[in-house]
Amino acid sequence: MFQYLEKYRKEGRKGSGGSSGACYVYPDAPATPGIVTPDVTFERSVYMNGSVTMDDGNSVRVWGFTEGGMMAGQFPSPAMRVTEGQIVHTVFSNNGMMWLHTIHHHGIEPSTENDGVGHYSFDVDGTYTYQWKAAHAGTYFYHCHTNTVLHAEMGMYGALIIDPPEGPGTLYAGGPSYDVEAVWACDEFDSSWHSLDWDAGTCGADVGLNDLNPDYFLITGVDGAQSALTDPRVAVSMNRGQRLLVRYINAGYLPQRITFGGLSAEVHGSDGRPFPRPVAVTSLTTHSAERYDCIFAPSRAGTYEVTVEYLDWVDGSVLGVARTRIEVA
Amino acid sequence: MKRRTFLRAGAAGVAGAMAGAGGLLAWSPRAHAATVTRTLYITEGFTTQPDGVDVYARSFADADNRLQVPGAPFIVQEGDTVSVTIVNTLGTTHSFVIPGMVDSGPIAGGETRTVSFTADRVGSHLYHDGENAPYNRLVGLHGGFAVMPSGSGDELYAGSPTFRKQYTWVMTEIDPAWHERVRNGRTPNTAYTPRYFTINGRSMRVPGHPDYGNPDIDAGYAPDTRLSGAIGDRSLVRILNAGMAMHSVHFHANHVEWLARNGQPRADVWRKDTLMLPNDMGSLDVIYPFEPPPDAWPPVTTGYYPMHLHDEMTQTAGGGFYQFGLATTIAFK
Ligand SMILES: [Cu+2]
Ligand SMILES: [Cu+2]
Repeated sequence: MFQYLEKYRKEGRKGSGGSSGACYVYPDAPATPGIVTPDVTFERSVYMNGSVTMDDGNSVRVWGFTEGGMMAGQFPSPAMRVTEGQIVHTVFSNNGMMWLHTIHHHGIEPSTENDGVGHYSFDVDGTYTYQWKAAHAGTYFYHCHTNTVLHAEMGMYGALIIDPPEGPGTLYAGGPSYDVEAVWACDEFDSSWHSLDWDAGTCGADVGLNDLNPDYFLITGVDGAQSALTDPRVAVSMNRGQRLLVRYINAGYLPQRITFGGLSAEVHGSDGRPFPRPVAVTSLTTHSAERYDCIFAPSRAGTYEVTVEYLDWVDGSVLGVARTRIEVA
Repeated sequence: MKRRTFLRAGAAGVAGAMAGAGGLLAWSPRAHAATVTRTLYITEGFTTQPDGVDVYARSFADADNRLQVPGAPFIVQEGDTVSVTIVNTLGTTHSFVIPGMVDSGPIAGGETRTVSFTADRVGSHLYHDGENAPYNRLVGLHGGFAVMPSGSGDELYAGSPTFRKQYTWVMTEIDPAWHERVRNGRTPNTAYTPRYFTINGRSMRVPGHPDYGNPDIDAGYAPDTRLSGAIGDRSLVRILNAGMAMHSVHFHANHVEWLARNGQPRADVWRKDTLMLPNDMGSLDVIYPFEPPPDAWPPVTTGYYPMHLHDEMTQTAGGGFYQFGLATTIAFK
């Protein structure tokens, strides 16, 4: 393994150190070490010509992963869902393209080659099969880890859920059950970043990637200004007596405060690990890439407006708000 | 030109800071409290950032001819008497403060003062300059101060989960415009916009860069930041935020055991891969367990992984240069 890594240490493409071209990237697509027949396979390739229409009518460019060869890109990228104990292949095809990307399964802890971090292994140039085993049920996400500051901001992420052996409806083995499920991946956009090239800044040019000034605030790809209040991809409809699981993902780069409209959440776990004891909260303050599994069992009918406040990383002031609803009949 | 007389953080200074510590913090418990005596020199100089820009800094150094950001880490035992002599070699007023334990009060330029105090608060602390707050702290006048529980060599607090090794990671951001105002004796007057992000005074380098692998420069190889262990080498990491921004700390390959936040032990130990680090001298204490990466197939016990901040602006230097920010390497040997 050491020799294997040394290879990449020597071959890192350094570039000119000027302001154009890609530097410090590690293109390759080796054979997967110890490859076996998987229990489940996901195929992913890349789109870099997507767009999201915001409530103000503006369109913002996004990049992401497609399922197989489909060209139309959805944002966020299609979810992966597996069962604890399964061996998984994520077959990532990036053939003959002008750009490099990887897939990092965030919170999944595989071997170095399968962790998808360019400078510890390689940026995929061709097709690479990431092989990993789903050890712990819970909420994860996957995202690109090449020029990550830009590529994750551009939308290159999707949900990753590991069900316990009981299957969907149970959070973890022997854990709480749920009847209704929502994934809220909360993210902010600085639209001024969204016209940059895939390798922007990698050779040292100052392209402003230290300074995020968000102007749009989204929940699972939907503008939180208005649309997320009613969009069925985000807003929840449920009946009294049902139990709702919200898989909350901080998919942005800033702290967030999510408040559940007067409902109390029982939080049973975070980052794919159950808590020793659940905690009851009416809001959560989180930071980039944390996940929390929140169960609601509302006893009264009503409309509960959920707010996600995106906070300045220095003074905690509210830079923007996204809203959605839990409708209890 | 005055600048030529300024100190530069370099190989000699950093190597000197390591001497006796063996890279990570070594500690042997004692049956009885002791008196710990140290001298810190308040110095100034420049640090070279990954894009080649020199940024003004001040430090609490072990010698008067060195710039040392952060100041050398302390590790003492609960009940110890700590006697610190501060030699202010600059013309400006500074102080030595550990909230809840000691405050020297203003030490004028050219003055020397000794403060003595009892290390009675077990856990992880930042010492810093409380004058001209927060600016003197931000330009480098800060360092880690660990208090071990009495008679214990393997706990964060009495009864905590145990560890084999311990590290202190002091994290901060650098807005060069603010440092330049402080150098000129002025108060920063622009919005705080950090351009560099450091862990124990260094940023990351990657393969292909001439400084890659240089332990004096590359945060991925510096022995006081790089987590290096075999399976079972449970490592306590005291994460201290000398900066002004809240950060997201993300570990690859293992979830950590989260023991404390801002010095407060957690009621339950949660296992997390990503944790919020509070700003303005906030802290986290975690144990990186060095267990076999649980999702590897086939199973592995060796490999190289990053710890990096996930508020990805911190992974840049000078507005670009992704991978040259606040990160280090986790090496499973
Ligand atoms: Cu990418
Ligand atoms: Cu991530």
